[in-house]
Amino acid sequence: MNILKLISQSVAVRTTLSVFILITILMASMNFYEINRVKEGVADEMVRQAGHAMDGVVADIDNRVANVETAVKTAAAFADRDTQHKTDCYELLYRLITKNEDIAAVTLLYRENFFPDMGRYYAPTVVHNPVNGEYEADEIGGPEADFCYLETDSNWIYTNVLREGYWCLPYSDSISTKRAMVTYSVPLFDDNDSIYAVLCADVALDWVRDIVEEAKPYEVSRVMVISRDSQYVCHPDPAWIQTINAYEHAQQIQDTSFLNLVSRMLAWQKGKDTLSKDFTAISSNSKKNPKKTETTLFFYAPIPRIQWSVSYTLPESFIQQGPRAIGNAMIAMLVITLIITSIALFIVVRKQLRPLNDLDVAARDIANGDFDQELPKIHTHDEIRRLRDSFEDMRTSLSRYIEELQVTTASKASIESELKVASDIQMSMLPKLFPPYPERDDIDIFGSLTPAKAVGGDLYDFYIRDEKLFFCIGDVSGKGVPASLVMAVTRSLFRTISAHEASPDRIVAVINDTLTEGNESNMFVTLFVGALDLPSGRLRYSNAGHDAPLLIKDSVEMLPMDANIPVGVMNNWKFTAQGTQIEPGTTIFLYTDGLTEAENINHEQFGEERIREVANTANLPTPLIKAMSSAVSDFVGEAEQSDDLTMLAIQYTKQQLAVRYSNELSIVNDLNEVERLATFVEQTCEAVGFDMATTMQLNLALEEAVVNVINYGYPNGTKGDILIEAQANDQRLKFIITDSGVPFDPTAKEEVDTTLSAEERPIGGLGIHLVRKIMDSINYERHNGHNVLTLRKKINNKQ
Amino acid sequence: MTTTIQERDGQLVAVFEGRLDTAAAVQTEKDLQGLEACEGKDIILDCTSLDYISSSGLRLFLSVLKMAKAKGSHTYITGMNNDIRNVFTMTGFINLFELK
Repeated sequence: MNILKLISQSVAVRTTLSVFILITILMASMNFYEINRVKEGVADEMVRQAGHAMDGVVADIDNRVANVETAVKTAAAFADRDTQHKTDCYELLYRLITKNEDIAAVTLLYRENFFPDMGRYYAPTVVHNPVNGEYEADEIGGPEADFCYLETDSNWIYTNVLREGYWCLPYSDSISTKRAMVTYSVPLFDDNDSIYAVLCADVALDWVRDIVEEAKPYEVSRVMVISRDSQYVCHPDPAWIQTINAYEHAQQIQDTSFLNLVSRMLAWQKGKDTLSKDFTAISSNSKKNPKKTETTLFFYAPIPRIQWSVSYTLPESFIQQGPRAIGNAMIAMLVITLIITSIALFIVVRKQLRPLNDLDVAARDIANGDFDQELPKIHTHDEIRRLRDSFEDMRTSLSRYIEELQVTTASKASIESELKVASDIQMSMLPKLFPPYPERDDIDIFGSLTPAKAVGGDLYDFYIRDEKLFFCIGDVSGKGVPASLVMAVTRSLFRTISAHEASPDRIVAVINDTLTEGNESNMFVTLFVGALDLPSGRLRYSNAGHDAPLLIKDSVEMLPMDANIPVGVMNNWKFTAQGTQIEPGTTIFLYTDGLTEAENINHEQFGEERIREVANTANLPTPLIKAMSSAVSDFVGEAEQSDDLTMLAIQYTKQQLAVRYSNELSIVNDLNEVERLATFVEQTCEAVGFDMATTMQLNLALEEAVVNVINYGYPNGTKGDILIEAQANDQRLKFIITDSGVPFDPTAKEEVDTTLSAEERPIGGLGIHLVRKIMDSINYERHNGHNVLTLRKKINNKQ
Repeated sequence: MTTTIQERDGQLVAVFEGRLDTAAAVQTEKDLQGLEACEGKDIILDCTSLDYISSSGLRLFLSVLKMAKAKGSHTYITGMNNDIRNVFTMTGFINLFELK
């Protein structure tokens, strides 16, 4: 593991290792080839040497044997002169033996009864005593030795048969020295050309052993000589000579290859055999194979003259000894070369790569932000120098880039802080103090806006004017700063327009026309605007493509919605007005699509079903929105909020109080009827218990309202009735002015600016201003072809 | 409702008595035409006996003010009771007139 790590981390180690492996493979292949070649050469040479040695030995032995043959034949040629005399024949024998060192004994075998007085078988002999070197005369046959050895002597028998010289089989000199011997015999012919005697020369075979031992090519070689009867003439173990039959022995140890070898030797062939055994193995009597054997070469060659076969061994291991030594030396040289090369290469590569290490250290410093770090100087002009120069360029670029980045980051931080301010301003536009009307018992409101980004495009707003709750909820297309700007504009328009316009459809229409004009960014707003008449519970609304609000009381119902387009899309769109009666205790729940389309990590949406489930459990504004928020939060889990999430819940909590005073007055549309109206108002105020000052103010307000109706409701002198009803409960006095004139909404008039100078003040508009100032609420409805104006004034219970 | 115009110490004084409501405003407007010859004279609107004023009355007051101002005359209001003063306050007229 550590080695692998080292290899992967160091170019020097990796390079060295690669070169090491390459050289090892190359040199090992070359050495292998070379050693094999050397092996073959050496083997060939050794075999050749062995062959030469073999030829030499064969020639030597043949030469010695030929000498004996020649001497005996020459002696035989001159034998007639001496052999006819029974004692003179010794002359011949002495001459022969003394002239030839190899001859150990010479014998003349005479024909049966050749000398009548010398016994049946006369055989004079001269023996060369190997101990004292004396030549001693003797005779084998004679009168005393009258056994019939000629009948059994192979020399006599074969020489007589062959009628020429004959080498007998080797034998052991049983009489005297037990030496290995062989005898050459030649026939002596009489005048009748018949054999009268055989001249025999016994040759001691000691020299054979000396010759072959001396001539053997290598000290480890073993020499065997077998004669034609397969007896050993020469063997490293002298005990085997003339005692072991090689062929029989080969059969006995059941070694086919050795048997084949012996067969070829006995067939007087010349050659070499390879046996998978060494000499020791075939020189034992055991059938079992010795534990350790080695392949051995056997060279063999015949000596035809004497019908022997000479054999040398040459162990394979000896042949391979030289090449193996050479191979070992080459391997040692290879290893040394490799080690030295590897170390040198490693040092060189590491030295070459040292600038890289320095560069690495410097680069790390730079990476840690130290851009002033000097890169190491490199004096070469190689790849490392180019790398260093590239690094230098990068360092300069980085330094410059970081500086630019710092400037950019600073300006971005500034933008972000401005965005935060924008977000704060946006949030401050929305009513966020809850409950917003703690003094009122007819309304309870809770709202929440959670932007998806720092500034969002959702809006909601509400406020009470003339005892009407104006409220809206909207969702600007897109997100971020542009959406928030449109949101701010929309919210301002809502406030501005609803300040003098009580009909939601007209509020939406004006907002639409204003937004559409110059809407080059094509942003649009889904918007719901509602106006809830708090005293009556009458809700009028107009929806511009927004999600339908829910009405929650005992059940959860959806507010019916007309299909209108979102605002900001098309100019002059006629937005429809809708209306419904809100029962006390009902909660109007408004939301943006951030609620229905809130997604969890599986991209499932929160959906209307879940909204209804939560709405069934809570219908008070604050608990409802908190339960909804926590349900959405649980549902969404780890997923990122994808859209602004805005909710607004309005509960109508009006308590119906018993009417304790009721009165009414009907007048015609004539300004002179104002006096009757004043009387009516004074009666009512007295009954309710208002003081004089308040009575005068209410008088003023009623007069202004009715005069407005007379002036504007009945143009061109038309006649009509005006009904004024007064109703009071414990809390409020209410005047309802109903007329059948043309539709006219006095509340739609803009507020009078009371700060203008006399020249700038318009003459009109003061009346409705006074009504607003005096009354707590003013409410206009067009109902069944009538204008219905409702004025309310709180009753101060302390009075 | 009666409106009388007197010349007192070189000033034109309009004295209002009773309720100046919308019905009375038509007659009062005619009565106040006597103030048009106010060159070189200040106008004093005496409201000591005025019980009530509606927006029609306020409009007459504003017309007088504009007319007098165009002729370089000052218009003063005297003797307003609290109720009348309240109405003037509600409409911002209290800032337009000089009170004596």
